[in-house]
Parts: sequence; structure tokens; C-alpha cells
Amino acid sequence: MEYATQHRATEQAIQHRFDPYADNGGTILAIAGEDFCVVAGDTRQSEGYSINSRYAPKVFKMKNNVVLANSGFHADGVTLTKRLNQRIEWYRHAHEKDMSAPAFAQMLATTLYGRRFFPYYSFCIVGRGMVYGYDPVGSYERYQCRAAGSAQNLVQPFLDSQITLNGQKDAQPTPLSLADVLCIVKDAFTSATERDIYTGDYIELHIITREGVETQLHPLKKD
Amino acid sequence: MVGKNCVAIASDKRLGMQAMTISTEFPKVFPATERTYYGLAGLATDVQTMSELLRFKVNMYKMREERTIQPKTFAHMLSSTLYERRFGPYFTEPVVAGLDDKNRPFICAMDLIGCINFAKDFVVCGTASPNLYGMCESLWEPDLEPEDLFETISQALISAVDRDALSGWGAVVHVITPERVVTRTLKTRQAVCLC
Amino acid sequence: MNSFVERFSSGSDLLSTHRKGLLAGEPELAGRWDAADEYAMPQFDLPHCADPIAFLQRQTDDSLAEDCRIKIQHGTTTLAFKFAEGIIVAVDSRATAGAYISTQSVKKVIEINPYLLGTMAGGAADCSYWERELGRRCRLYQLRNKERISVAAASKILSNIVYSYKGMGLSMGTMITGWDKSGPGLFYVDSDGTRLKGSIFSVGSGSTFAYGVMDSGYDYDMSVADAIELGRRSIYHATHRDAYSGGVVNVYHVKQEGWEFKGRTDVTDLHYEYQDQAKSMHVPAYTLH
Repeated sequence: MEYATQHRATEQAIQHRFDPYADNGGTILAIAGEDFCVVAGDTRQSEGYSINSRYAPKVFKMKNNVVLANSGFHADGVTLTKRLNQRIEWYRHAHEKDMSAPAFAQMLATTLYGRRFFPYYSFCIVGRGMVYGYDPVGSYERYQCRAAGSAQNLVQPFLDSQITLNGQKDAQPTPLSLADVLCIVKDAFTSATERDIYTGDYIELHIITREGVETQLHPLKKD
Repeated sequence: MVGKNCVAIASDKRLGMQAMTISTEFPKVFPATERTYYGLAGLATDVQTMSELLRFKVNMYKMREERTIQPKTFAHMLSSTLYERRFGPYFTEPVVAGLDDKNRPFICAMDLIGCINFAKDFVVCGTASPNLYGMCESLWEPDLEPEDLFETISQALISAVDRDALSGWGAVVHVITPERVVTRTLKTRQAVCLC
Repeated sequence: MNSFVERFSSGSDLLSTHRKGLLAGEPELAGRWDAADEYAMPQFDLPHCADPIAFLQRQTDDSLAEDCRIKIQHGTTTLAFKFAEGIIVAVDSRATAGAYISTQSVKKVIEINPYLLGTMAGGAADCSYWERELGRRCRLYQLRNKERISVAAASKILSNIVYSYKGMGLSMGTMITGWDKSGPGLFYVDSDGTRLKGSIFSVGSGSTFAYGVMDSGYDYDMSVADAIELGRRSIYHATHRDAYSGGVVNVYHVKQEGWEFKGRTDVTDLHYEYQDQAKSMHVPAYTLH
């Protein structure tokens, strides 16, 4: 009898979980060269097994010419980008100069940590001359190359072997040319597209040099 | 991994309980016949039990049929052995690599209840499998000669396990050619070197 | 629980008007410009749901929650010990998200200022953020009082901060070291609010392994070179057995004049170096020289 009452009580208590996040997938990566930096992301946006958009960019050129890529929950990424752009603007009005890349990197970390208890579901990579990689609550570090997103596991070991020459003891690291780096980026995304269902459609590349930021779009498999 | 008239099979050597490394000399790749090898990733006790069980079955096959088992036959035998425990499975994910009687390469992988994945290029399993997929997909190309195949599989394994906390501590690679099987030990991060 | 939560919620209506006046507008958007606000707690957004703490745990804790998506970097071995000539701090450099190694090059010793060091174990972001905040407060203390803050006081600031967030899901295990008027100082502070004074500590997933080596080789009167070697060896042995520790060993020596960086060594190089030594040398490190 007692069991029955208890049982009914649990049945009546319908729980609605507060779940404000979605995983929109996608992969981003950034590589720093001698005098350039490449930040790339695929443009597929998906949820579960369905594709929401084949062209939904997740790599953004910020107002201070820093390039910010984010993967995870698209809405959080867009909101974060918008807020950061606002603060870059504020900074410019206050100091009459553009925010430097290291300052921007630290600001992104504090902004992410400001949501320590309600995180942005966003894995960020920042590029301009150097590459910074983040966890969702703002732990960050400088890297030579960094991949994040749904195919991070597939892409990062490849970058390790091709860029930092991991596991090749006698190999002398030579400075990579922009053409080499673009080749590696395209290879990485082609391979990721093959095995990760959340990656595909197009690569959007941002090439950052002294002259400015150039954007390229390359097709990937659309299946 | 498949090459030109050859196949290669490789594994790391770590045995761990969650975070703690118990052994760095734990073999995961076993010979079924002279030209068929298989690897088992997963729960250590099941890996050992399975390998002993398979040794028994392969020997029984040899005595009954008076011929060595072909890699494809072996794969199906392995698959049915796993499916026999459909509702209380062995927690192992096997890969098989070998050359058949006409020296054609054969590889396959299966899940823990024996669903076989016949591939023409490469198969992976274990805790580092996403990393391995990324590496193999980028490095592998058709018709690799034995030496190139060795280099490819080694680089793929090294870079993949270096991004997986639960793998590494040395590796073993077997390259199976019609003439012989070449076994090499790789010195990865923190491998225990016996020489 | 609710009143507790509201203390930290920027969106709460119950937030005192006094605090709102200080923060002038939306805190996260505009940043804190007011210098008078320097001792205020930073404000954090909370999810507007019945149990924000359970919510956070479900989303971020990969050891408890099955549907955890937001993987935060973890895993570590750090150690510090006092000896006759100061303090040795040694740490590994691996950060993992689940089994995936997200980086092998984290700086787990946080240089708070030229005479204070903090170590990082647990949530990487928690440690770097709060120890940066601690650095700011120590600087303010120095400007106000015309003298450097003591290690005891600095560690207490940190422990008071994290204690005020107790139960909210912060994860840090840190050691604060430095040299002040009373000599070398070493304190262990963690996110539960524990603050301990001591002379040997090791923190993190590989700490048990490190303790084993460190305790067996420890001697208060050892030389600086032996002490550095002991720190390095202890971290190496932890990285060998603990999957969530690895990368390189970073060693620091805290002296009266401040700390000094004593170099980074790849644990793989150490592995082969130690392996090549004769087996009879498997004895405490300080007797080697």
C-alpha cells in the first residue's frame, strides 16, 4: 500500500529539465605560421541527425581584425561574438586604439569565466599572428596549431603529426609556407568530413597576414 | 591496415584501471595462424579469455579440417563466438588482419557482439579510435609497399595515442607479407624498452 | 539555498541597490570601470532554473553526468615542498577533457607576482582566473600598505574567495608559495575551503604516486640540485602511472629574492634517462649525487 502511494507520487511529479543547450556540431581549426595565420571552420550546422544549414559560418572576423572561431552551440557562439564586438568597440572609444590580440585573448577568457555557473557552450579559437585555444569556461593557452569541435579527436592528431612533427624524431621542423598550410587544412577537413557526420559542406578559411584578412570558401562533401 | 599484398596490425601496450597504469607490457595482438593476426581491445580479463578460447578453436579447426584457417573464416568464427554471448558479452572489440591462401589481404573489425565490418582500407578499435580514424583517413593510401605500410601505420598509431590519455606506453607493429611476418616495437612516449 | 544563490546572481531582483549603483549598468557587457569597486566580488550569471548547481553539474561534470557536453579541462600532478634553501614547486603539463588529451603544454605554475607562486589542479579556468584575481588583490594590498603581502594572508584571501562559492561547483586544489618576512611559506588551498599550512604537499590525480617518491627521497637538508631532482623525479613517476598526468615537468625554486624558473623537461626524455641508469639506483634521489 505504502509502496503504491509512493509510486503514484513519483509518477505525478513530472520533471521538466532545464536544457538550454544544443550541440550544433562542426569543426574549427587554426594554424600559426611564420608571418601568417590561418583560421578555418566548416559551415555545416546540424542538430542530431538533421542538417539545419549548409552555410552557417562559425568563423568571424572581429572589429579589431582578430579572427574568432567557435563551435558547440551556435546561438551561444553568435551571442558571444556579438558581445565581444561590442566590447572591442567600447575599448576603441575609451582608448582611441584597437584592442591588441593578447588583450582580446584575455578579455575572451574573462568573458567566458563570467559565465562560470551558466557556461557558454562554445569552444573558441582565436587567431591573429598567434593562435589561442579555449575551454568553455575560459582556460586558455597559446598554440602553434589547434583544432576544436565535433571532429577535434580526428583532426588534432593529424595536425600534431604534420605541423609539430610529433613522433618524427629526426625530422627538422622547417617553417611552413602558406601553401603547405592551406594544403594541410584542406586535407584535415576532407578526412574529418569522411568520418564525422557533423562536419561537411564547405570550409571557410580566413588567412590573416600583415595586409589584412582574406576569406576563402572551399567545397566539402555534402552527404 | 591494407597494403599491396601485405597487411599490418598494430596496438599500444598499456593496461590500465581507469587512470592508473597497471602494466606497460600487455600484448593486445595475437597470432591466430602464421599469416592471420588479431587484436583485442577492451576488458583485460576478456582479452585473455578470448585469446585462449580462440587458440583452442583454431587448433581444433586445424585438427578436424587438416588445413589452416583462412582469415575470413577466422573472422566469422570470432564473430559467432562473440554472438554466443549476445546478452552477457565479452567486453572486447576485435580487429583481424591477415593474408589468405592466394595472398590477398584481408582485414575486418567487429563490435563486442560480433557485427563484422569488412573494410578495404583500414579498421580501428579501442579508446583512441576517433583519433585513429582521423590519422588513418589522412595518411593511408592504396597499394603501399610493406616498408611504407609500416611507416604509415606507425605514424598513425603514435600520433593517435599521444592524444589519448588511456593509450600509449609503447607499441607493437606486425607487418604480414607473403614471405614473412615482421614484428617491430615502437618507442613511443614512455615505452618500456627491454633491449 | 535560494538566498545563497541570489548572492551571486547578477540578474536577481533581490540584489541590493547599493551593489547595482556600484556596477553601473550590466556588469558583463560594460566591464567594471569604477576603481572603488576593486574589492567587490566579480558577478556571475546563473541559469534561471530551480537548481542551478545541479544544472551546472549535469552539463559539465563528465565523471557524474551521463549527458555532459561541456567538457572542462582537468587532471594534474603538482607538488611543492619546503627544504633548507627554500621551496621547490614541480608540476606536470597535461590537460585532459575526458580521455582526450587537450594539451600537453599547460603552465600549471601561475606566477602571481615575482615573489608568489600558485599551482593549478582541478579546473584550469578556475585556478587561472582566481589566481589572477589574487594577484590583483595582492598588488592593491602592497599599494595600500607599502609592504608586500605575506604568503599566509595571500592564501587566506584566496581561501575566503573560494569558500564564498562553496557548493557552487568550483574545482581547484592549489598550493600558494612564496617568501615573506617570516621566511618561506607554503599553503594548500582548495575549493572546499580547506587551507593548510605545511611543508610537503602534492595535489591532483597523480598525487599519491608523487607522494610515494617524494616522501621516500625527502630530506630537509638536501642541496638545491638534489631537491630539484627529487621534485622532477616525483612528477615523472606520477606521469608514468597516472594517465591524466603527462607532458613536461616544470620546476620552480622559491628563494628569499623571489622565485626562479628551473627549467622544463619532457617526461619522455626523463623516462629514457632514468631507464638507462643502473637498476641499483632505484633508491631515493638525494643519495644519487
